[in-house]
Amino acid sequence: MRNLLNFLLRYNNLIVFLILEGFSLILLTGKNEYHNSRMVKTMTGITRGFDERISNARNYFNLRDINSKLALENALLRNSLKQMAGDGDRMIVEVNDTTNHQVYHYISAKIINNSVNKQKNYFTIDKGTLQGVRVDMAVTSGNSVAGIIVGCSENFSVAISLLNLDFRVSARIKTNGYFGSLSWDGHSYRTAVLNDIPQHISVSVGDTIETTSYSAIFPEGIGIGTVTDVKPSGSDFYFIRVGLFTDFKKLAYVDVIGSLKRTERLGLENKFQ
Amino acid sequence: MINSVFRFGLIAAVLILFQLLVLNNIQFSGFVNPYVYIMIILLLPSLTPAWALLLISFFTGLVIDLFSGSPGMHASATVMAGFARPYVLRLIAPRDGYESGSDLSMPAYGLRWFFTYATIIIVIHHTTLFFVEVFRFTDFFRTILRILLSSVFTLGFVLLIEYYRKGR
Repeated sequence: MRNLLNFLLRYNNLIVFLILEGFSLILLTGKNEYHNSRMVKTMTGITRGFDERISNARNYFNLRDINSKLALENALLRNSLKQMAGDGDRMIVEVNDTTNHQVYHYISAKIINNSVNKQKNYFTIDKGTLQGVRVDMAVTSGNSVAGIIVGCSENFSVAISLLNLDFRVSARIKTNGYFGSLSWDGHSYRTAVLNDIPQHISVSVGDTIETTSYSAIFPEGIGIGTVTDVKPSGSDFYFIRVGLFTDFKKLAYVDVIGSLKRTERLGLENKFQ
Repeated sequence: MINSVFRFGLIAAVLILFQLLVLNNIQFSGFVNPYVYIMIILLLPSLTPAWALLLISFFTGLVIDLFSGSPGMHASATVMAGFARPYVLRLIAPRDGYESGSDLSMPAYGLRWFFTYATIIIVIHHTTLFFVEVFRFTDFFRTILRILLSSVFTLGFVLLIEYYRKGR
């Protein structure tokens, strides 16, 4: 007891200091939005690191269980495969209800003229109205965005390339769904720029950018590229540079995608504008 | 005794009002924010016990905080400065020690002593304050620059006020 009192007397200034400093830090982190969020961020960063390690270790110990379950499932599947193979004369009928479910139809085409070095690039494909291509259809190359049809003759069509200063497409970040407008800034044929993503959203390099269903031209979820550079621009928005999936310099075969319900959708939407 | 407490209270009130009404409203490129109220901690008599010093520091900071809408920020910085003051005083003590009961002011111990004393306390206070304000270590050198520039301006104000007090 005596020692404790001596200790308290000796370090009383330090103790008062620590109490007051602690109190002001509690005030600071409790009452100020910014400091609070920084604190929470740091704390969750630390705990997440621990959680990850613990769950990794736990997974490792569960492997034996998972393995035996998989073996069991394999045996079951093998058995049912045998049964089905033996049952040879069963008829399988596939019904494809096109009127109700198919929304997009695809026409494959070949690029016969293309450019990447102008500020307003267009390319020409070898399909036209006779083959079913119409204005405002989407053009993709290997499931990533290439352009939009802007003019058709009987056997040829011209599409505005993504590498055109007038090209705009509604695009979103795949991981969190926030959407903005993607356009080309006229610099490199490998990159485009995503605008209108506000700065409170976390965007990291490598995030996938894909199309949204807002435009009635592109189907939802067509890939555009990956984020290569994020920096805050002067306003409240990010300046996001997107490395494109499509290499326009070796574009050869493309798919033209038409929406079967486009007219219906636009007709309805125009009523309310 | 009562007289000196009253006098000190008056100085403190004037400094806090000066800080809140004038200096807090100066927007000078975001790098220069002088905090002259730190003089309250500088000028407390040398006889003040350490715990009282800490409490006075804390409440000074809290008052500034309440009026500038940042609870805890100035308080943590002033408590740090108040905690450091006895050690600083011991470190730069004049050859024949401090006269008991004297003010820790420029007329009493000379410009050079006061300059050293004020500089150390101000830098300690500003370092804590600006780092608590940004609350992270990215942009480290930017914060350091803010600390240095603001310290220079605070020091200038403090010396000016001391000269004025001396002349009167």
